[in-house]
Amino acid sequence: MRKILLGTTAVVAVGFASAAITPAEAQTAPTVRIGGSIAAYWGYAQQRGRDITTLPTAITGLPTTAIGQALNLERPTAPFVPPGNTTQGSSAAYMSPHDFVVLPAINFNIDGKLANGLAYGGAILLNMNSMEGRNIVQRRASAPRTTVSIDEAWVYIRHPSFGEVRFGDEDGPMGGLMNSGWITGFGTGGVFGAWEQVATRAAQNRTMTAPAGLGDNSKIVYLSPQFFGFDFGLSFSPNLGEGGSTGCPNDVASGWCDSSWAFRGASAAGITAAGGFLGARRNEYQVALRYRGNFEGVGIAATVGYIGSGAARDILNGGATIKTMRGLSVFQVGAQASYAGFTVGANYSTGAFNWFWGNTRVGDRDAQQFSAGITYTAGPITIGGNMVTGLFEGGSRMSVVNGATGATAPLPFGAAGSAMQRRWGWGIGGNYRLAPGLDLIAEYAYHSIREPFVTPAVGSTTNAAGVVQLGGVPGQRASSSVFLLGTRLAF
Amino acid sequence: MRARLPWLFLLLLTLAACGMGREVQRDEYGTDDPRELILRQTGANPRDAGLIIFGVDRSRQDGGAGPGGVAVNAFLWRATLETLSFMPLASADPAGGVIITDWYTPPANPQERFKAQAYILSRQLRSDGVRVQVFRQVWRNGQWVDAPASAATNSELEDRVLARARELRGMVASR
Repeated sequence: MRKILLGTTAVVAVGFASAAITPAEAQTAPTVRIGGSIAAYWGYAQQRGRDITTLPTAITGLPTTAIGQALNLERPTAPFVPPGNTTQGSSAAYMSPHDFVVLPAINFNIDGKLANGLAYGGAILLNMNSMEGRNIVQRRASAPRTTVSIDEAWVYIRHPSFGEVRFGDEDGPMGGLMNSGWITGFGTGGVFGAWEQVATRAAQNRTMTAPAGLGDNSKIVYLSPQFFGFDFGLSFSPNLGEGGSTGCPNDVASGWCDSSWAFRGASAAGITAAGGFLGARRNEYQVALRYRGNFEGVGIAATVGYIGSGAARDILNGGATIKTMRGLSVFQVGAQASYAGFTVGANYSTGAFNWFWGNTRVGDRDAQQFSAGITYTAGPITIGGNMVTGLFEGGSRMSVVNGATGATAPLPFGAAGSAMQRRWGWGIGGNYRLAPGLDLIAEYAYHSIREPFVTPAVGSTTNAAGVVQLGGVPGQRASSSVFLLGTRLAF
Repeated sequence: MRARLPWLFLLLLTLAACGMGREVQRDEYGTDDPRELILRQTGANPRDAGLIIFGVDRSRQDGGAGPGGVAVNAFLWRATLETLSFMPLASADPAGGVIITDWYTPPANPQERFKAQAYILSRQLRSDGVRVQVFRQVWRNGQWVDAPASAATNSELEDRVLARARELRGMVASR
């Protein structure tokens, strides 16, 4: 063990460094490997506040085309009605708590090596899970869940001594590649797991603030070798588009606005429009520094990182652009330790971001999120639990906007009309490995969203100073309790 | 802290430019790929799984079983045997990945003798996949008595094994 982590660095560095200089590598033709996975679960879900609806969010003075977009919304048109009440919220369906869910995926992996030691290749990941992440408002116009879509597609070139570059639709260093402290190695991931595939998406009750929720927007990533236990990563993405869209065909918000630095409706695109990759995030960059070591048999990993971005501007009626959104500015630190089958970890994020890693508006509060978890593995059995809690600006967007000039101003924290979305969730689960690549899973997850300080106003109002204030909603809670039982197979 | 981070990155970037780092493998990064997650969590190797539709499956050469189909790396096994071949072999257990030599007296110094034990610990060709322990005795007062061996000797032998294993792998890959 003494060579695995810290100790290895110096010893192996010499070995690999000399190998890089010595042309001892043999060129090999690329290998193309096809694999995939199938997960099948029985899900039992109990939800509150799950009405499906679309709501207008308007900023007076901005074009009306921004109204009616199903973006950034989490509230039903009618106040929450407790279960058992005969008066259901408008447009609420009566859903069975039971369902079967099947999640297939197909992978293509390409790996080759050049005579000079450069390794190269790529990956294409096809998911057949298109319904997740979409707030289906067009109903029959929507694609079925089993529609094949590309989740990731990227090319890599790696030198044994100089590191690796990945280019394409892939996670970033802080988007899942190098994070520490996110404990998801049990069940399907606990509160970050597959319960979201069972619960109805309405009310936006999703965890979605796990690292991978940052998205696979097209980016270029550099991942360094490891020095004395440390390695680091950098990434840059010009916008939020996967695959690279063509930009807005006109000045109106659409799913192809990824390369536009200003478009009408950008203020309503802080949270990614599900399925359309429409979002205000621009010039995203990620920086991560990771340490891994082994002390007396205790494996340690820790990561500090930063996620930054700009934001698209909105366009006023006269054609002038206005900065209504803030860029991402997120600091994250996490650590985990493993010993004798146990793994414990915790992670903390703070800065300018909203839930779903969305951009906040000017004047919005910063967010904080904390997650922790533990797993234990003994032979073929793994059990574990994790939790996440966070404070976010939320979906009510209670910033004050001057309709004539577009000026914004924040509301005091906790004041009537200001937002404070609180998210809380936890999960426990276990796996039993039947064979390599095959296991049985039982898991329970709970997740809730509350916005207790929001005023009951609905729609925009104008205060005495002539300042237009965005509409609020009654303090409400959306929650999901999901039990999963099923199996996973990967090949 | 924020002010120091850029300097730390600069230092690491400089080290990277000097080519002084250890190569980080794909399975050392996180992923949200469901296939990779399932394979990792169930003890399978993503490099072994799946169907090769083009090319040669080199992962099985890298991580393949040694003689007798045991769970040690074939390159490490062969490299260890060759590296220790200057000493008489007492036993070689391919099932457990253990090689034990008999006592060996260097011709240049008949007053001391050495014995080595090597353990192959991994199916993968990894730097921590082999461990060598050298024992030393010296002739004193008409009998052999134990004496400490240089700690560097173990590491040097391990490095030689790793270097030879790498050569063997390169020879196979070039076929």
